Amino acid sequence: MIRLDNASRWFGNLVAVSDISFSVGPGITGLLGPNGAGKSTILQMVAGFLRPSSGSVLVRGRSPWRNDKLYRYTGLVPEREAIYPFLTGYEFVLLNAQLHKLPNPAEATARAVRTVDLEQAQHRATGGYSKGMKQRVKLAAALVHDPLLLLLDEPFNGVDPAQRLHMMGVLRDLAAEGRTIVFSSHILEEVERLADNVLVIVSGRLAASGDFHRIRRLMTDRPHTFVIRSSDNRRLAAVLIEVQSVKGVELIDGGLSVRASDFGAFALAVPPVARDAGVTLYEFVPADQSLESVFSYLVNR
Amino acid sequence: MALALLPLLVALVFRTGNADNDPVDWTANALLNGLIVTTLLPLVTLVLSTTSLGMEIEDGTIVYLLSKPVSRAQVIIAKLAASWLPAGALVSLSAASSASIALQESEPTLLLAFVIAAALGALAYSSVFLLLSLLTSRALVFGLIYVFIWEGIVTGLFSGTRTLSIREYTLGVADLLTETAELDAHLDGVTALVLMAVVTTAFVALAIRRLNRFETRTLF
Repeated sequence: MIRLDNASRWFGNLVAVSDISFSVGPGITGLLGPNGAGKSTILQMVAGFLRPSSGSVLVRGRSPWRNDKLYRYTGLVPEREAIYPFLTGYEFVLLNAQLHKLPNPAEATARAVRTVDLEQAQHRATGGYSKGMKQRVKLAAALVHDPLLLLLDEPFNGVDPAQRLHMMGVLRDLAAEGRTIVFSSHILEEVERLADNVLVIVSGRLAASGDFHRIRRLMTDRPHTFVIRSSDNRRLAAVLIEVQSVKGVELIDGGLSVRASDFGAFALAVPPVARDAGVTLYEFVPADQSLESVFSYLVNR
Repeated sequence: MALALLPLLVALVFRTGNADNDPVDWTANALLNGLIVTTLLPLVTLVLSTTSLGMEIEDGTIVYLLSKPVSRAQVIIAKLAASWLPAGALVSLSAASSASIALQESEPTLLLAFVIAAALGALAYSSVFLLLSLLTSRALVFGLIYVFIWEGIVTGLFSGTRTLSIREYTLGVADLLTETAELDAHLDGVTALVLMAVVTTAFVALAIRRLNRFETRTLF
């Protein structure tokens, strides 16, 4: 459905997407990466709103750039919240249906509104919608022409947990019908729960791709750094270096910085070792649990 | 929009207080040329045409329009119509009604000449300002500079620059269509009409071309 070959995109001297190749077929694909990683740029290239600076982007074998026929089977949920505030939800979806020149826009609109569970609020002006309702009305607008390919940029932003579950259900149903769904997110759990296939994007590059469980393992198996404070840091360092999973120990200001390969085994090994050595542990903190550090590890791997 | 009522007020003041001037000459040169063509026409068109596409680009709603199987040319034509029709109607209405107030006896050709000229002028201005709004987010500022600095001052200083002034085209067309009043037009009527057509077509074509190549980082 979608195929990128060495696609890059830069803006002036800022490289947003660098030499990315992948192909995506039916099912749900998650673009995972921190903010500013280039996820939106990739989606916009696939949507035909940005031209790749080099390499190629193909949708169903054709370039989406300046190809408005593509929109017959592509639906877009942009990240930006703005929709015409003076229109009601129903009118907004209907407008999209009419712009698609659907044979029966009213029927398509009713179906799309029902799909996203927005019937209650459909006759209220979208200016007064909550973030979650705006996300759902945008999804309804993107679904109104029954697209084969659905591109969603951060679709769960501002959506409450119950609505999120519902939206995920909608997307799963669409995927089960054989459609191709690509969504971006900076939240690991969203991607884990929804995507069959994951593309990890960091700093404009494809850091990892494939099955989520494989990527998760890569993320948890990486060396972790812990900061430990105890009653006798120097003595604790001496005994810790004998622990299998420990890769390095450094004395830092008022404590120890320990690098360990196996997260679980290390956490279990430290307390008995410390007790046997007669050292009291005051503090035991993983130093780099942020998503950014996980991503940077994947990139430098 | 309250601006459109100003000529009516001015016409009313003229009608009640001023007996020294010839009503036809005053209406043609002071009211229709001086106030309507010089100020009301460009300002109303500027506001309507820079916002019709410009606002959608600014807030990102343009994506809903562009992500449809609709050619970009159709989008430009629709947006042009959406700013030209209300602007043309408003200015023509203001011209016709204020002129009727100021004139003692009816001057249908003078009235009609300005209504047609204003409608055509609004189309030309709309096409220019529409392209401007595709090129910059400060279209309103550049539009004001064009109207007040270029058309207002530069064309008065250098006669050659008058061929690049929509105000002069509008005036030329009005002059071509009326016989009763002596208008202070600088361009020959036919020349003005041809230049107006060329400019409008060229700017619409450029706007379509520009929207076809339209890219923005903040669209999503």
